[in-house]
Amino acid sequence: MILDSLKLDDRVAIITGAGRGLGRAMAVKLAEAGADIVAAARTQAQLDETADAVKKTGRKCLIVPTDVTISAQVNALIDATLKEFGRIDILINNAGGGDGTLGKQLPDIGDDDWRRGIDTNLSSQFYGCRAVAPQMVKQQRGKIINVASGYGLRGGKHNFMYACAKGGTIQLTRSMALTYAQFNIQTNCIVPGIFPHNEEMMQFFKGGKFIPIGRVGDDSELGPLAVFLASDASNHINGELIAIDGGGLAGGITPTGVSPESSN
Amino acid sequence: MPTPNDFSLQGKGALIVGAEHAVGRAAAVTLAEAGAKIVIASQEPGTDKQLKEVAKLVSSAGAKAVVRVQSAALRADASATADLAAKELGGLHILVNALDASAYGPAEAADDTAFDKIIESNLKTVWMSCQEGARVMLRAGGGVIVNITSVLAERGVPNAALYCAAKGAVLNLTRALALEWARKGIRLNAIQAGWLDDESSPANKDNEFSKTLRKYLPDNRLVKPEELGGALLYLVSPAAGFVTGESIAVDGALRARV
Repeated sequence: MILDSLKLDDRVAIITGAGRGLGRAMAVKLAEAGADIVAAARTQAQLDETADAVKKTGRKCLIVPTDVTISAQVNALIDATLKEFGRIDILINNAGGGDGTLGKQLPDIGDDDWRRGIDTNLSSQFYGCRAVAPQMVKQQRGKIINVASGYGLRGGKHNFMYACAKGGTIQLTRSMALTYAQFNIQTNCIVPGIFPHNEEMMQFFKGGKFIPIGRVGDDSELGPLAVFLASDASNHINGELIAIDGGGLAGGITPTGVSPESSN
Repeated sequence: MPTPNDFSLQGKGALIVGAEHAVGRAAAVTLAEAGAKIVIASQEPGTDKQLKEVAKLVSSAGAKAVVRVQSAALRADASATADLAAKELGGLHILVNALDASAYGPAEAADDTAFDKIIESNLKTVWMSCQEGARVMLRAGGGVIVNITSVLAERGVPNAALYCAAKGAVLNLTRALALEWARKGIRLNAIQAGWLDDESSPANKDNEFSKTLRKYLPDNRLVKPEELGGALLYLVSPAAGFVTGESIAVDGALRARV
């Protein structure tokens, strides 16, 4: 029964970057689908809010304040989860951002800006995959979801660190998929389009005027995709990227919202 | 809002074209299980018996299936099928094109008839079904279309040049139509099936190719038609409202390697 295969009853899911935005939206939706949640992020106060939202669904929420750029802390996150729940069914490597290179010209991007950005967006996901894989192999079951970006597939003017890190996320996903397919572990990638988190971003993206579908995404729309990729309904989908971007990557070579004139 | 409801198709009507094939059959059952009302249409005439069997499976899954035997390559049939579906379903909300006619053989031996036949059965049928489905959907303010194609849409394989060309065309047709209708309420996406475990698959024979292929597959097995169901349900459900022009490969990581 297909709808039953989308349920996550009693699964245990770790979500990094769970203190806000897409991470919190995914945490709550996974909990609604039946999963207990381990919420990781740096800021305790934000995690508390996520935990409140998760607990309203009737599921448990363990908070583990974590700096995902430090591998020892990521290892500790896995250990804390095992201590509390005894297993890990789902890991969502969502934490990212923190781009100190934003708005800088190439010659002005310092080594530290570059390293911090790569650590936050890519190394963090590598640390998560590395730390969780042995447990999932032991279980002969697991789902890893890495959050990338359209910039993982396209270049951007003055966009170096972020495009490189997210491109790395996609390749990390593929190599994880191939390495662990035989252990019934599926690793896939969500590729979000434009999901503004404040009025300023909304203005910058002009409300989605240049997105084919004519609007921006809402955080709540990420949740069901995460549920699908965390569930048994996606058991033979592995190493795949799924864009949720209102058609952004399907076009991409022409400005959207306009089209060539009819030629006859 | 409990999550299973995000994927429920209660109150929706779905037309599955190519329902005599294993993939179409599985699609019909999946959508019926999720609560949709179903019309199944064939790709080829003379498939009454197969469609009746599919109708039985759909009814076991809890829905009544209206059966329409047609030739998907004929404009008049495609048009009448879309109209019939809209009438029977109380509106055509979901269209799944599971149209396929695999064709393998050396390029040197393919004549112009082969070209026309392979392109017609794998591409023209999908084009006409999308056009006719959209005609009905646009009148009602929108809908969602999923075209089932193959991982061969983006990769080549020897002895299947025209088949690969047609499968690639279906993928890019999906993208272009998705953009064209994005602001008119129609979402289009594709599913790329890996090597299938069904009766027509060249991977499902007892021969050297099949044996070698299995060793090469990341989890050493073929894709069962029903395993496309999760991706299909996600894409047609309201939960995927921001997903259009996209394609999901159900191939057990094969494409991550090649």
